[in-house]
Amino acid sequence: MLRTMISPDAVTQYIQQAMPDAKVWVTDKTGTMDHLSVKVVSSAFAGKNPLDRHRMVYQALDAPMKDGRIHALELTIETPDGQ
Amino acid sequence: MADPIEDEIKREVSAHKILIYGKGTKTMPMCGFTRETMQFFDKYGYPYEVVDVLPNPAKRETLNKLYNWPTLPKVFIDGQFYGDTDILEPMAKKGELEPLLKKAFGK
Repeated sequence: MLRTMISPDAVTQYIQQAMPDAKVWVTDKTGTMDHLSVKVVSSAFAGKNPLDRHRMVYQALDAPMKDGRIHALELTIETPDGQ
Repeated sequence: MADPIEDEIKREVSAHKILIYGKGTKTMPMCGFTRETMQFFDKYGYPYEVVDVLPNPAKRETLNKLYNWPTLPKVFIDGQFYGDTDILEPMAKKGELEPLLKKAFGK
């Protein structure tokens, strides 16, 4: 089966469009680049609860999640001061 | 007019102390994250229910909209939405999950 893959750079770009100060680390969980583990650090998460933080990242990645370039996503989310 | 799918979801959420909407069943999980979530709850020993929404795209869509959350699994504890293990693992590490489960099961 042929799948369209997404590059770590593209993931980072989608997130930084929504959160310009975001630092993004992308890990490929399965070697197929559609099950990703992504760490995002941004000041935009300050004062937000974990559910809303995830929603912000999901929203930023809406396009590649809807078209199937990202099938599954494991997220770690922090603010720059480690909260 | 009430949406019958929404009614069904509300009924399920209130009927089970721990409810996982996922892909596949307890005996045959069809997604690594759904399986991981079951294994996560297995450690605690409380009963949980798994509802397979893979055969029901309309319900999946309703769930996504209701909770503003685009992925499966979706976990509910005591009627409250908790996202998935990305949220639950850090809660467990901080010692917040065990009291929540104890309270849910009246212990």
